[in-house]
Amino acid sequence: MPIGGFVVNVHPDFIETALDALKAMKGLEIHGSDDKGNVIVVLESDTSEQMEQQVKSIMAVEQVLSVGLTYFNAEDEVEKIEAGILRPGRSFGKKQFQ
Amino acid sequence: MGLSRREFLKRTAALTAASYVGMNLPISMEGEAQATDADSWHPGTCRLCGSGCRLELGVKDGRAVALRGISKSRTNFGYLCMKGMLFYKLMGDNHPDRLKKPLYRARKDQPFKEISWDEALDIAAREFANAVKKHGNDSVAYYGSGQALTEETYIFQKVMRGGLRTNNVEGNPRLCMASAVGGYITSFGADEPIGSYDNFERASCFFIIGSNTAEAHPVLFRRIMRRKMDHRDTVKVINADPRISPTSRIADLDLVFEPGTDLALLNAMAHVIVNEKLYDQDFINNYSTFRKGKDKKQVSFEEYRKFLEDYTPEKVAQLCRGNMTAEKIRTAARWFATSEGTMSIWTMGINQRIRGVWANNLIHNLHILTGQLCRPGADSFSLTGQPNACGGVREGGGLCHILPAHRLVKKDKLRHQVEKLWGIPEGRIPPKPGYHTVAMFEAVNQGKIKAIWINCTSPAQSLPNCDKYKKGMARDDVFMVVSDIFPTRTTELANLILPTAFIFEKTGVYGCTERRSQLTRKAVNAPGEAKPEVWMVREWALRLSRELNDPVIKKCVEPFMGKEPDYELPRSIWMEYTQKLTKGRDNDLSGATYEVLAKLPDGVQWPAPTEAFALKGGTDIKFVRGIDPLADKHAQNEMPYQFYGPAHPDRKLWIWLRPQKGPAEMPDEEYPFYLSTGRIIDHWHTSSMTGRVMELVRANPYAFVEINPKDAEKLGIKPNDMVEVVSRRGRNVLPAKVYVGPCEGMVFVYWHDMAEDRMINRVTKDAFDPGSKEPEFKICACRIKKVSGPKPLKPFIVEMS
Repeated sequence: MPIGGFVVNVHPDFIETALDALKAMKGLEIHGSDDKGNVIVVLESDTSEQMEQQVKSIMAVEQVLSVGLTYFNAEDEVEKIEAGILRPGRSFGKKQFQ
Repeated sequence: MGLSRREFLKRTAALTAASYVGMNLPISMEGEAQATDADSWHPGTCRLCGSGCRLELGVKDGRAVALRGISKSRTNFGYLCMKGMLFYKLMGDNHPDRLKKPLYRARKDQPFKEISWDEALDIAAREFANAVKKHGNDSVAYYGSGQALTEETYIFQKVMRGGLRTNNVEGNPRLCMASAVGGYITSFGADEPIGSYDNFERASCFFIIGSNTAEAHPVLFRRIMRRKMDHRDTVKVINADPRISPTSRIADLDLVFEPGTDLALLNAMAHVIVNEKLYDQDFINNYSTFRKGKDKKQVSFEEYRKFLEDYTPEKVAQLCRGNMTAEKIRTAARWFATSEGTMSIWTMGINQRIRGVWANNLIHNLHILTGQLCRPGADSFSLTGQPNACGGVREGGGLCHILPAHRLVKKDKLRHQVEKLWGIPEGRIPPKPGYHTVAMFEAVNQGKIKAIWINCTSPAQSLPNCDKYKKGMARDDVFMVVSDIFPTRTTELANLILPTAFIFEKTGVYGCTERRSQLTRKAVNAPGEAKPEVWMVREWALRLSRELNDPVIKKCVEPFMGKEPDYELPRSIWMEYTQKLTKGRDNDLSGATYEVLAKLPDGVQWPAPTEAFALKGGTDIKFVRGIDPLADKHAQNEMPYQFYGPAHPDRKLWIWLRPQKGPAEMPDEEYPFYLSTGRIIDHWHTSSMTGRVMELVRANPYAFVEINPKDAEKLGIKPNDMVEVVSRRGRNVLPAKVYVGPCEGMVFVYWHDMAEDRMINRVTKDAFDPGSKEPEFKICACRIKKVSGPKPLKPFIVEMS
């Protein structure tokens, strides 16, 4: 289960509105914010694919100006890949060679 | 009581993020010293764009498992984007599609067979040697990449030029950067930007043209955004582009113009600056001359003024169409000229033009006229697309006309310098530049090139009008070696595929946009038998030397013999390049040894002629006395700026008279639309890397065609309808995105998709700038037509196994 630490920048005039929108999201924790519009966000998800969707949802919030990743841990996912449970980017497209 | 592992990681994540913005959180990690998220952290550079973001790779049990930004790095201050977040999956054994064994087939209709490295290198040497023996030295070629490490580009070109005696050395930066190179050399007398990223925090006006910075360089865009939001009343952002993009979100002024009218727009801004006397007369008198034509004839300010008479804002606004008005052009020019520091930023929208060098010149003109250079916040700054287009290819000698450290092939003195430094006989490097990229693949088409090594790039997808050039690459009498980490559209056409190590699986230096060299050391093992390229080239050169019975080829790699490939080998190559080749040149990196680079969070900006100077980070503004040691060294008077660039003997900046020039192909009755192409935030280049990370693939699984709602209505096209895009060269069928992005009369397609139907470079035109030889990817004529309603599509990635 990947975990990511982000600084989300929201428009300083609309911090409360943005925070309300972020708080409604699943798997998202807000750890703090300041009056410049910096919001400390931690995301956790079942897969990094899901986290990518979470980031997209954050970016879709009207008052959000940028989403900056600062820390990312995916050890669990690497273990799943090793165990053969997860195959990233595998098997789309036809086989080209024997 | 200890925290659970997940709680520990979440706190680590929160505290890391909070530390970036100086925020104190009511949580701590006290008493948790025994918990760890990684066994070790390894500093390095993200390789998925040209920003040069620094990060640390967290390794546990020998596997890449985590990433964190390096907050002390002046490139990214620790911030990363989603591309960086996901690239750990490409490393080591984390991705099942990685190439792990050398693969060979004698004929291109045969299946590949796994072979040993010994066999592979023997075959590569034999085929290149046979080509040289039968067809001459210019029948072989190297086509490299802005993603290759500097050590790799350097050793490849050394063996090709000094060993195989050909200047057929090219690289994909020809497709993206060559016009910027030409612009810097002809305007400033020296390649690469004068200033640095730290102007983002000092500029009062940003002039962004032909760059969707928000998507192509998101971490740098964050800095511009922060500057704007923190100084909303005093900082102005002008975004000039034929297409409204996410970059427009922070713009005070959007200048939307029809593709190909950019040169006129830039001249119109100069017209306003000259007519309203917004120029800096002292700066012009002290530091510039006016030039025109092929013979670089010097002309007067008065002649320049007359030349600009054709470019009144009224006249140009009519030509530009889009949302342009004369008043908008005047406002942009006034903001540009009068701000305390104006920074221009551009990428492919300006470079990939039939007159890309001229477009670059015209941006530089505005800066020279107004003295918006060499001081805080003022710079004319071309952004790079690839991590090592600057460091490896532009500086390391990776194009057909340049030798290492900005030396021109055609200059006898400089060529002989290189021969001497390499200890090879004078006259060994031929005086004639080799084939530039389009000419190289044309020569492949014509069967003039019999053996080519393509490293870390996929020309079968990335060349304009790519079907035409795939035919040549498919020829059975063209022996093709492709070294890469994944199968691509180009490995499909190879005889020999060599699996390479990825970043963090090998050691070497990348030089990013701002003249900054940064070291990444090996942190994890490459999968299977994948090897660093520097090892491959050394071993191949030894075999070539035997096959051709030519000891000079061996001489080219002799300084690197016996070195282990993971650190000592690249270090010895870097040492030769920096200590011998760059010493005394404008990109002097003599002070930037591996040991110095390893001590700094973000590397060294050249010129950095001594270790002591390099340890301070190097030069953040070129040409300024007291800041740039070469400005002091080469000073000829007491003036604060010394433009010592090697290409301008008069030591002046040149203001060029460059007329408007439309695209090579204009829309007409048969092909009534402009087609333009570009990059999307999640995908990068031909997506052989990012296309394999499922998160990114699902977000944007296939390319689509963006159509202005007004055009869509006229043609009865609804969102997601399948639309045919046809040019004189090829055809794509893609889903439609109806969107107020492109201006009316223009469609836009992202170029990452590997599927035949959606590979837009089958449609683009291969006309190129006569100066820089960079193709005009950004503009051609096409027609569009709805072929069906929405259809389910599958993403497509080339596979091997």
